[in-house]
Formats: sequence, C-alpha cells, structure tokens
Amino acid sequence: MAEHHDGHGQLDTKSDKGHDAHHGDAHHINYKKIYFTLLALLAVSIIGPEFGIVWVTLVTAFGIALVKTQLVVNNFMHLKWEKRIMKWVLTTSLVLMGLMMAGVSVDILNHEGNNWENVAAQAAVERGLPGHEGELAVEEETEAEPVAAAFNAPQMFGLVCASCHGTAGDGTGPAGAALTPPPANFTDPAFWATRDRARIVTVIREGAPAVGGSPLMVGWSASFTPEQIEQLADHVMSLRPGQ
Amino acid sequence: MAHTATETALHGDLHHDAHAHEHHGPQGILKYIWSTDHKMIAMQYLFTGMFMGLIGAYYAYVFRMQTAFPGVSVPGFGQVSPGEYNALVTSHGSIMIFWVAMPVLIAAFGNYLIPLMIGADDMVFPRINRLSYQIFLLSAIILIVSFFVPGGAFGGAWTAYPPLSAVGEYNQTNLGSSLWLLAVALEFVAFLLGGINFITTLMNSRAPGMKAYDIPLVCWMIVIASILFMLSVGPLIAGAVMLFMDQTIGTGFFDPARGGDPILWQHLFWFFGHPEVYVVLLPAVGITIDIIATFARKKVFGYKLMLYTTVATGVLSFFVWAHHQFVAGIDPRMANVFTVTTLLISVPIAELLFVIIATLYGGAIKLTTPMLWALAFIAEFLIGGVTGIFLGASGADIYFHDTYFVLAHFHYTFFPIAIIGTFAAFTYWFPKMFGKMMNDTLGKIHFWGTIIPFNIIFIPLFVLGMGGEHRRIYNYEHFPELAGDGMFLLRRIATVALLVMLAFQLVFFYNCFISWRKGAKAGKNPWNSNTLEWTTESPPPHGNWPEGLPNVYRGPYEYAHPDRKDDFWPQNEPA
Amino acid sequence: MAFPKPQATLRSATGIPTGRLAVWWLLASEVVIFGGVLGSYLMFRLGHPEWADAAAVTNTYIGAINTFVLLTSSFTAVLAHQAAEKGDGKKAAGFLLLTIGGALTFLMIKSYEWTTEIMHGYTITSNGFWQFYYTAAGLHALHVIAGAIIMGIVAMDAYRGRELQRVELIGIYWHFVDVVWIFLFPLLYIAK
Repeated sequence: MAEHHDGHGQLDTKSDKGHDAHHGDAHHINYKKIYFTLLALLAVSIIGPEFGIVWVTLVTAFGIALVKTQLVVNNFMHLKWEKRIMKWVLTTSLVLMGLMMAGVSVDILNHEGNNWENVAAQAAVERGLPGHEGELAVEEETEAEPVAAAFNAPQMFGLVCASCHGTAGDGTGPAGAALTPPPANFTDPAFWATRDRARIVTVIREGAPAVGGSPLMVGWSASFTPEQIEQLADHVMSLRPGQ
Repeated sequence: MAHTATETALHGDLHHDAHAHEHHGPQGILKYIWSTDHKMIAMQYLFTGMFMGLIGAYYAYVFRMQTAFPGVSVPGFGQVSPGEYNALVTSHGSIMIFWVAMPVLIAAFGNYLIPLMIGADDMVFPRINRLSYQIFLLSAIILIVSFFVPGGAFGGAWTAYPPLSAVGEYNQTNLGSSLWLLAVALEFVAFLLGGINFITTLMNSRAPGMKAYDIPLVCWMIVIASILFMLSVGPLIAGAVMLFMDQTIGTGFFDPARGGDPILWQHLFWFFGHPEVYVVLLPAVGITIDIIATFARKKVFGYKLMLYTTVATGVLSFFVWAHHQFVAGIDPRMANVFTVTTLLISVPIAELLFVIIATLYGGAIKLTTPMLWALAFIAEFLIGGVTGIFLGASGADIYFHDTYFVLAHFHYTFFPIAIIGTFAAFTYWFPKMFGKMMNDTLGKIHFWGTIIPFNIIFIPLFVLGMGGEHRRIYNYEHFPELAGDGMFLLRRIATVALLVMLAFQLVFFYNCFISWRKGAKAGKNPWNSNTLEWTTESPPPHGNWPEGLPNVYRGPYEYAHPDRKDDFWPQNEPA
Repeated sequence: MAFPKPQATLRSATGIPTGRLAVWWLLASEVVIFGGVLGSYLMFRLGHPEWADAAAVTNTYIGAINTFVLLTSSFTAVLAHQAAEKGDGKKAAGFLLLTIGGALTFLMIKSYEWTTEIMHGYTITSNGFWQFYYTAAGLHALHVIAGAIIMGIVAMDAYRGRELQRVELIGIYWHFVDVVWIFLFPLLYIAK
C-alpha cells in the first residue's frame, strides 16, 4: 500500500526546488553509454534462444528484460534520484500485480485442483497439441452468433427454445415447468386450431405481447435475422402433430 | 524577484501575486461547459450523481413491486418481463455504485472540499478536472442510451459474469451489453484522471504550515480512496477490454466454448471489486468523523490511529477479493486463505468505528441534522459490518451466497455509505456551497422518514435470505418453497417501506429548494468549525481566498482548547 | 492567452514538481492495467502449452527491430530532456520530433507485421495466443499513438520556449511505453 504522507512536510512553494536538487546528480549520467548497453543487451536476448536451451532462453529473455527495465527506469526516468515515496508507489503497483497473479493463477494456470477441474480448458489443450491437427476448435468462420450460412434451426431450437418448450416442442421444458401460463405445446392440435405460421413468426420476432400473449415469451429480433426467424418458424411448424 | 527567460519557460507562468489571478472564468451559460473551477465541477458531479440516483431508485421501485406483487402491472412502468427485470437489477446496481456513490462521495465532495480544506485556490490540474467530468458525463449518457437500444439494457448483473455477459445470444442484449461495458470503462477513465488530480493536489498544494497531520481526515480519506481505486482498477480495465472483444468480435478470453476461462473474469472483477467497496467507504467515514468532531466539539479521538488504521484497511482490502467467489468453483484451498483475510479485515474497520464512537464520548453533542446523519451512519454500518462476518466464513457462505442475506448485508453497508453519507455531507456543507442554511426541522423529518423505513426494508430481507430466498429471481411464485405467504408478507412489508422512504425524499428536495431560495443567510462559519473551508465566504468566490491564500498554524480539530475562550480554534488564526 | 495556472499547481510540499508527481501516479495506474493484461496472458500461456505452435509464428527479428526503434526513441527523448533542462527549447523540440519519428516507425513496422500475419490467416479470433497477441500489442500501440500526439503538442510549445518542464514529463511517459514493450518482446516473440 502506497505511503501517502510525505516524509518531509515541506512548506515548499517553489516548484523548482526538487527539480534542481535531483538534476544536480543526474548531470553525471552518460546517456549514450546507457543506450549502447541497452542495445547490447537486446542483441544478447535475441541470440540467447538460438542455443535452444530453455533456461538460457528464459534467463536471457526475461532476465535481460528486467535489467533493461532497471536501466531505463533509473537512468532515463531518473527514478534513482526521485523522492523515495514514488519508488514506494511504483513498487506497490508491481507487488499488487504479483499478488493478483498469485491469487488467480491457482485457478487459471491449473486445469484441475482439489476437487475441481476445468473441462473446457483441458479439452482445448488436448485439441491443440500435436497429433490433433485439424481439430483446432476455433477458426475464423465459426462465431458465437450463428449468422453464417450454416444456421441450424433445429439445433438453435434445442439450444434456446427447448428449455421452456421442450426438445420435442411439447411445452415440458425444465425452465417452463413453473411458468404461468405454461409454454406453448406445439404438439397439441388444439394449439394449432387458432394459430398459423405468420403468427408464429410474429411471436418469435416480437414476443407474445405483440399478439396479446404473456410477456414470458420474449421477442428474439435482437438475436436472429429475419431469415433465421423464418427457419425457426419452419422448425416449429415441423413439430405439429401429423408432420 | 528576477525571472530569467529560462526559468519562466521551465516553470510556466508564475503567479506569486494573488491579484494576478484575475481570470474569472467563463460567464453566462457557457460557464457550465467550460468552467474549470473545482467548485463548479463538484456541483456538476453532485447533480449528475443525484440525478442518476433518482433513476436507480426508480428502478428499485419497479423491481421491488414486481418481486412483492408478481405479474401485476407496476404503476409508472407497466408489466415487467423477465428480461426487463434482469436489466432493472443490473442497472440499479451499476448506477448506484458507479454513477451515484463514486461521483457524489469522491468526485463531488472531493473536488469541492480538498482545495478549500488545504487552503488552495483550485485543483492542480483544472482543465483535466473539467475533462474528467466531461468523460464521466459521457459515460452516464452512454449508459442511459443503452436503456433505449434494441434488445434493451444489459441484464447480466452488475458483476457481468461471462459467458452470459460475453455472448449476445445468451444475454439477449447484444448492443446494450457492449454499451454498458463502454460506459463503465469510460467512468473508470474519468475517475483515474480525477484521482491523479486529487492525489497530486493533496500531496503538493497544502497551505504553508500545513503538515501531513494537519490535513482534515475527510481529505485523507478521499485521497486514500483514490489511491486504492487507481491501484486496483487496472486488472478490471484489462478484463473489460477482453470482455468487450469477446462480445463484439468473438474472441475467447472468457467463453469456455472458445477455450476461455470465466473464472478469470471473476478474479479480475473482484480484485478491483473488493477494494472498490473501501473506495466508497473511506470518504463516508471521513465525512462522518469531520461532522462528529464539529458537533461533539471535540478533537478526533485518535487522528493518527485513524489514519494508519485506514491505511491498514486499504492494504488488507487487496487480500480478500475471492470471498465473493467462494462457491464459484475456485480452489477450495484458496477459500481457506480468503476466509482468514476477510475475517481479519473486520478488525481495522471495527477500530475505525470505535475511534468515531470514542470521539463522541465526553463531547458537547449538538444534534443538528448533519450530526443525526453521521450518528446513523455508525449505527447502520455497524449492522452491515457484522453481517459481513457471516459471509466471510466460507462455510457459512455456502448457504448464504446469492441469497438476500448478502443483499441485505451490502445494503446495510452501501446505504450508509452512499445515501446516509451523502445526506450527511450535503446537509453539513450546504451552507458553504449555497450560502443559505437548510431548514433543520424539515431536515429532521427527512432524516427519520429515511432511516426508519430503511431498516424496515432490509431487516425482512435478512430473514428472507436466511430462509433461502435467492437473488435475481424474477418471480418467486415459481419456487414453491419460496412462495409461501409468510415470505410474501415480508417482501411486501419491505416494498411498502420502500414506497414510504421514497415519498419522504420529497421532503428533502422541497427543503433544498426553499432553503436555496429563502433560507437564512449562512455566514462564513455557521457551525463554528475549525477547518479552512469555513474561513472564506459562503459560497467561496473564484480563487477561494481572493485576498490571499491562508497559512496554517495548527491541526484541524482543535476544539475545546483549555486556554481559549472560544471552544474552537480555526487553523488559519495565528497563535 | 495561456491558461492561468492556479497557485495550487505551483506549490510543492513534497519537493516533487506537481507535473512530475502526476505522471508518476499515472504510471502507477498504467502498471496495474498492463499488469492485468500481461498477467492474464502469462497465466493462460503457461496453462495452454498447445499455443506454442501459434507463438512460434511471430517473427522475432521484426520484434527486435521494433525494440531497437523504441529504445532509440527513448534515447532521443532523454536527450530532449537534457536540452530542455539547459533551456534550449528548439533543440528539445528537435529531439522530441525524432522521438515521434521513432513512434511512427514503430507503428509502420507493426502495421506491416500485422498485415502479413492477418493475410496468412492469423487473426485475432484464430486462437488463444493470437487474441492475446493482438490485444496486448494493440493496447500498447494505442498508448504509443496517444503518447506521440501529446509529445507533438509538447514539442510545439517547447519550440516556442514555453512549458519546457513538460518535455521531461512526456519523456517519463514515453520511457514507460518503452518498458512495456521491453516486456512484450520476450513474452510474445522470444518465449516460444
């Protein structure tokens, strides 16, 4: 946690006092030398991986990153000559990052722990490792919203509608069990006595209140294109008794 | 004093002469857009925040009516559909935290008070101050716009857990969810900018003679809160960028179907989310202690104790975040760790309350309206705090998580913070801000008409929570074990109490209006308080002390000094 | 007429000039933001060894060139500061312009690099590695752009001999942007 009280309680009203004090020391920095050191370190960090030894790569890559950072921060940003409080503040930021990673990595880094496992991530790792080429789960064409040409209405019905209407469309989905009125039963002839395809399309698009029904059936125009709604209506029509 | 061209160039325009500051700022209607005066910007934040509070309260009214009388058309809204219910609770939570509590407690009162209380003429970066308000206003507008787009407002709860929040198909509010995220992100940027202003001003721009321990506690609290905010919001900004990309271009940071990890979002969210509650708590505590010192006519019991305890609280607040995730599927070993840290943090917070109570002891207490609000803060926050202990124990939390017990707990903490704290500060500093005294009788009516109903709203909710009532359920009739008459009775009692409480707010607005128009003129220092803001005119002119900024000779709470005739001793009076 | 600064801006109870104090606090918050992104990447990467194939695609040499460009631009930024300290606004502006040139070079190289990668089919949604690659480097690039714009404004003032103290401040911000890249480079390029 950052110190927020300064150690001096200075009554300084001139803004240049600290400015001069620290720059007096900083005049001795040879910026050119620091710059060439940085370039040399860069070269080492590129050569390091060429050896192919993992720990050499890590040390040269990250170790050197740390050294370069220290050089830039201290000498270019003059942190070495800055008042102590700012060093504390920046250190606190870094420590908090470490804290965050420590707390989070236990869940994110591992895909299984004490009585739990992350099935989705394990599957992703499996698919991606050599021997599973061509099974990469996510490619550019597939998207979360099924707006590509391969819109599968029955599958979408199962995903989105069946929770209330049941997979067979008979109104017995688990989420619909406690609803009043109950979800429509598309396998009931009596249902179709007073309804036609046009009404189905309207209800899917705008929700049941558009035809005087219950607000429990919401409209889906925000989620599906008109063509997709037509395909869903086709699927609902296919659930009629005798189809 | 000679200035070389170099010096002037290096250090900008120098104004050693107070009279050189003749620039009075824009006039007329334009001053509401272009003014950089910290007091104007504070008012802007205050009124925007209060306006958003009205919206948030309206939403609470609607969803409480739906909960208590399911399926009945709500007067002033209509039928509530499940999607709308979700949007209402999401918006209520988001608005109250990000667009009411933070702007009012930190941005409004911080902006108004910090320069005045440290004897400065403005914030150190007035133009960035104005910019931060404008970004904030933009964020509020974007949020409001999200209510009217196709699909409606985001309904995935203010915590926005993916994959619900990441996949438009699941949350049904494609556009609304992205706008919500954008609004939150902009609000964060506004407060990062504001935080830099506050911290730098407090660190650097104090009056000559004002040492660190001469700063009024409310200023410390607001600045420490800003520091907490700045150091904790980063991971969430990172997460928000990632979530936005998941929502809009289909990346898979958090969506398990695409190889992502939803628990990462939770961690990123709560790493910020927990310090956030202390970000809003600290200013409220600061407001309370300043008011109590003034109306108990006593020094703060332990100024340094309070300061260091607050720092300890701030540090500890970074170590407790996963107590929001006990049943989310985190590693149970981490649950052990976070239980210990969470129970530990109750210690410094309790200590803060003890210091406040100890300050009261032996004081010459004056029960003015602001004092009543400050006392109510202690009592109500105490209840909120102790109920948090139940939730901090991971074993008990397995039952309590996502029930109304949690909800009642955090309303017993947030309501004192955001509402009681606001009314305390508003009634206390109204004379300074507007130059008129508020009507004390109306103030007391408003006070009791808020506090009593508040308790009647939320105590039943504790009971309901213990009875198993889950949060964020649109219609409890769907759950037979929660649909009993007894439970519905409690829900209705709470909702009726809410209606009463909302009605009493009209007293407040009426009081504001008539006090502003016809209230008794307030002098410089109607409360005989010690701190610097009371040494200038009410309201303070541009530049705060045009005749010259004050010097400081003593601490902020020198009340009842034995050698003095007056029972107070302003900071700027020479010894 | 220049904006008249309040006396508050010119005070310095800590001894650190106000502008510099503010930039350090800004950096403190930026450390936490980038820490969030990079930390998340690190945790994911360590848990997803199958990203190694994707990670191998990034061109270490282009990354190294960009590192060189940014280091050089940091060098010119600190030379600008040195000139400003001596009161030479025109020289400082010149060095700042070189720094902006470095920023633009960096961005051009990055555009070329990303275009090539995208044309080969490595888009942001291809794979977990790529989503982090574009997000982290993209966030960094946004900071480069913002920094270059502000640097331009500071350079214009400095050329006229005004607000020379701001040369140091934009320099400190710029060095931070460089430091973030110093970490991005091994994370995204070297560590396959």
